[in-house]
Amino acid sequence: MKGCIFNIDAGYLEGLCRGFKCGILKQSDYLNLVQCETLEDLKLHLQGTDYGTFLANEPSPLSVSTIDDKLREKLVIEFQHLRNHSVEPLSTFLDFITYSYMIDNIILLITGTLHQRPISELIPKCHPLGSFEQMEAIHVAATPAELYNAVLVDTPLAPFFVDCISEQDLDEMNIEIIRNTLYKAYLEAFYDFCKQIGGTTADVMCEILAFEADRRAIIITINSFGTELSKDDRAKLYPRCGKLNPDGLAALARADDYEQVKAVAEYYAEYSALFEGAGNNVGDKTLEDKFFEHEVSLNVHAFLQQFHFGVFYSYLKLKEQECRNIVWISECVAQKHRTKIDNYIPIF
Amino acid sequence: MGSLFRSEEMTLCQLFLQSEAAYACVSELGELGLVQFRDLNPDVNAFQRKFVNEVRRCDEMERKLRYLEKEIRRDGIPMLEIPGECPEAPQPREMIDLEATFEKLENELREVNQNAEALKRNFLELTELKHILRKTQVFFDEMADPSREEEQVTLLGEEGLMAGGQALKLGFVAGVILRERIPAFERMLWRACRGNVFLRQAEIDTPLEDPSSSDQVFKSVFIIFFQGDQLKTRVKKICEGFRATLYPCPEAPADRREMAMGVMTRIEDLNTVLGQTQDHRHRVLVAAAKNIKNWFVKVRKIKAIYHTLNLFNLDVTQKCLIAECWVPALDLETIQLALRRGTERSGSSVPPILNRMETLEDPPTYNRTNKFTFAFQNLIYAYGVATYREVNPAPYTIITFPFLFAVMFGDLGHGALMAAFGFWMCYKEKPLQAKKIDSEIWTIFFGGRYIILLMGLFSMYTGLIYNDIFSKSLNIFGSAWRNNYNQSTLESNKMLQLNPDSDAYTQTPYPFGIDPVWQLAEANKIIFMNAYKMKISIIIGVFHMLFGVCLSLWNHLYFKRRISIYVEFIPQILFLVLLFFYMVLLMFIKWTSYGPNAAHLGSDDPEIVKTSAYCAPSILITFINMMLFKTDPNTRPQCNDNMYAGQIGLQKFFVIVALMCVPVMLFGKPYFIMKEQKERARQGHQTIEGAAENGAAGGAALPPPQHHDEDITEVFIHQAIHTIEYVLGSISHTASYLRLWALSLAHAQLAEVAWNMLLRKGLMSRDFEGGIFLYVVFAGWAAISVSILVLMEGLSAFLHTLRLHWVEFQSKFYSGEGYLFQPFSFEVILDSAGQGEE
Repeated sequence: MKGCIFNIDAGYLEGLCRGFKCGILKQSDYLNLVQCETLEDLKLHLQGTDYGTFLANEPSPLSVSTIDDKLREKLVIEFQHLRNHSVEPLSTFLDFITYSYMIDNIILLITGTLHQRPISELIPKCHPLGSFEQMEAIHVAATPAELYNAVLVDTPLAPFFVDCISEQDLDEMNIEIIRNTLYKAYLEAFYDFCKQIGGTTADVMCEILAFEADRRAIIITINSFGTELSKDDRAKLYPRCGKLNPDGLAALARADDYEQVKAVAEYYAEYSALFEGAGNNVGDKTLEDKFFEHEVSLNVHAFLQQFHFGVFYSYLKLKEQECRNIVWISECVAQKHRTKIDNYIPIF
Repeated sequence: MGSLFRSEEMTLCQLFLQSEAAYACVSELGELGLVQFRDLNPDVNAFQRKFVNEVRRCDEMERKLRYLEKEIRRDGIPMLEIPGECPEAPQPREMIDLEATFEKLENELREVNQNAEALKRNFLELTELKHILRKTQVFFDEMADPSREEEQVTLLGEEGLMAGGQALKLGFVAGVILRERIPAFERMLWRACRGNVFLRQAEIDTPLEDPSSSDQVFKSVFIIFFQGDQLKTRVKKICEGFRATLYPCPEAPADRREMAMGVMTRIEDLNTVLGQTQDHRHRVLVAAAKNIKNWFVKVRKIKAIYHTLNLFNLDVTQKCLIAECWVPALDLETIQLALRRGTERSGSSVPPILNRMETLEDPPTYNRTNKFTFAFQNLIYAYGVATYREVNPAPYTIITFPFLFAVMFGDLGHGALMAAFGFWMCYKEKPLQAKKIDSEIWTIFFGGRYIILLMGLFSMYTGLIYNDIFSKSLNIFGSAWRNNYNQSTLESNKMLQLNPDSDAYTQTPYPFGIDPVWQLAEANKIIFMNAYKMKISIIIGVFHMLFGVCLSLWNHLYFKRRISIYVEFIPQILFLVLLFFYMVLLMFIKWTSYGPNAAHLGSDDPEIVKTSAYCAPSILITFINMMLFKTDPNTRPQCNDNMYAGQIGLQKFFVIVALMCVPVMLFGKPYFIMKEQKERARQGHQTIEGAAENGAAGGAALPPPQHHDEDITEVFIHQAIHTIEYVLGSISHTASYLRLWALSLAHAQLAEVAWNMLLRKGLMSRDFEGGIFLYVVFAGWAAISVSILVLMEGLSAFLHTLRLHWVEFQSKFYSGEGYLFQPFSFEVILDSAGQGEE
């Protein structure tokens, strides 16, 4: 039934989004890109794709950072266009997507101010999708409580922050904990929101978000080895909406080294496959890349179904992956470091 | 000639160009626009081609030009159109000059802009400071105001009491902030400082210019009072976070006044400097604006040439470039000439070589058009591009299209409106074209201006035939009917008949079109017009389709498909003629042999009754009976069963022959193809045997004949579909032409409604109010006439005509499986570039 009336509000945008998705670079494009000798070649080839003239007004010589900026700018314009034309509940859904960028921006700014960087230097590094009005005044705050009371209380992130209010000073460790707690709260809220929308959206998005939650749990565990983070504190950071919940998370909370994490993942078919192929040797793909690959395939699958919001999320994620790929290739081209140029993650 | 009826004959040519002369030659060919180059290295990446560096340099030049253009637009300087001719593509060595010019201009402009921006920033700061000084004066005045003393005390109450007499030691900062950020700023201040600050703000009324984007922005002056250093750093941080600019503001009124004076003088100084900078910038831009269009054309031409050169192959010695291109066979001379010109221009000694090549590929379809035939050709292309050398329906469409349209749109008045509009567009063609109006609807109308003109003229003609002008009639020649009833009969009867057998009819028909008397026949006007228009539609339709089938004969003859003539064309035309053309003949027989007879007014002679309207059979029933082999005796006494002697037998013969055509259409072609394949297989067998016998004589001398055996079942299915389509099609298509009648009826009725419901009401009253009323009503009637009757009805009639051409007419002969000839032409490239820019 939902599918019947979906097109009234979101049909145009879904069509638009699917159109945008068709512009994502294909394997053959990547094969051409990796053959480029200079960034000018890269620009010339990208002109033949959907990116068109996005670099046409840039004076030579190009730098990787301009390419990165322009790629991001194009993506942001497309996303903002979708957001501006959307109505409830799609607009809330799209807003939810931007919250994760807000979290990243906040953490970036706090870390930056902690290291005595001037705020004007940090602002351009923030993701434009996650910018909000009070963002630049964030360095007023010295403790999480102040951060909440002065800055975040007006932002949509306020409900996620409730768990991290404390009077401790902000230090490196604290910030990491804040980031992960925020992210946990955000993921769970997003998960619940998608559940509440129901229908195909819930089917598709819950799958993707569950993976996202599990990935965070696994990465947090692996990264926490050898730090002063206690196991109890660690367990508090796990987002509880993934497939690992609750048994897997409990097992992860007890883990002491990489092998134990791997043993936990053994119980879950899709994750054990990821751990199987990963390694730190030359030629092996890292676990991170494996996760990215899995994420890409999940996002590509989202397009197989119609009449749901997952396509917007997936489109953004795929496009981000594409930007990472292009930037990676451009870096390799610019630094003449061609041995690792094939380490991009193809999408189609 | 010949290109109008069939597409141009194309040949594939190989072109050997000397490296030095290639550029000039391609440039000449681009001006000519008659050559379509093929990509000879489709596997090579865009950035691995030979002239990629030149293309890149052109891109760079274009970027600089775009930058210049943007700046010129920003200052609103008009860019001069190129007077007269387009500039030719410059020589490659001129490219360096151009590059240098652009480089210089861009750098100069950037420098000027940078200076201007710095100056503007300075200016902005000073203006902001000026506003601060002015606005804060009010705040300070308020503070100093003795009547406000009390308020001040309460304001500073808590802290003032604690700190004793330190109330005046309050610190403050003053600054300027974007107006829309004020609410969030205020809230943040309150939260972060726990309400221990006091903010006053005032709006700056005039918008200020943002130096980096040169937008006009509204800002507000604020002043924040606080106490203590800790709060100060905090407030400053927040100000920084909200991009507020802070300015020093002295506390003492005298200092402030002095500062204000200083600021004013500095602003004045800056103004003069700024003016000079702007003047300089303006001069640079005006100079650039004179040439910029010209430069754009040049750079685009160079780029197009190098793009084309990238399609070429390099030969082994690297001395010459090899190109392959499609060329209209008739234009080979012109192309040779252009190539020679190019060689001369480049000063090369070796002439380029143009070789014709044999190819099995399908050449592109190219129909030469002029501005008149262009629109009609496009109507055809909209359905599908003609297969190479197939009969082109466009020339016939030039007449049939407006005519069929007019049959539906027949109204002298509406037609005249349409023709006038079309004529205006054709008459003002050049000025209108030069205007370059971008509206899509206008482009459609303007592109079809000749179609509109013709449709209008033809509608006027059919309007005269229907004797219909805004739903009224013209009595030009005097009606052939007269009223024989006396006054009392007329008054006592609501409805009276005029009998054509009586002397109410002069026995000589109205010389042209419908007699105007029908306009008065309220009871049977529609019945009469329907009978007439329906028959006319069918007659036109059958002739139109017969013509289409005949065109297929031209195709078969041209492509030498002898079998198709015997097993497709002949049965098809027999089928159509024996059934539908026969029906048309019956109509004519009915028209000529039945009706009132002048010699026997009111006679009861049985011979005469048999040819009177009383005995006229229904054509439709006759035709249905013919198909069903049924004889339906004429139910009316005294009448003949048949229209002519031997009708039943002849009709049976016709139907049987027509039905026998169907299996011929169905199985004829597959049978012959099958036979041919068997024959060929046997012959192939023999030649192989023969070759084996001959031994050395055979071998590579004869290449195997190029043919591919189609799957025979596929041929059957294909043929079955075609046959079914044709047989069912001829019935449904004939019926489909009845839309001519239906739309014409609808149009006439709508026009009548508009007249009766609106204008007639206005014409009825006799007083002077009637004049005023008429004035109002006419506006409504005119609006409805134009918007609904001319525009909407015109559109609907247009679409129906289009359908009649695409489906009913073209399905008889047109396959439309070709692809369009897209020559390399500067004109097209510049046009599309110009459009993309806007």
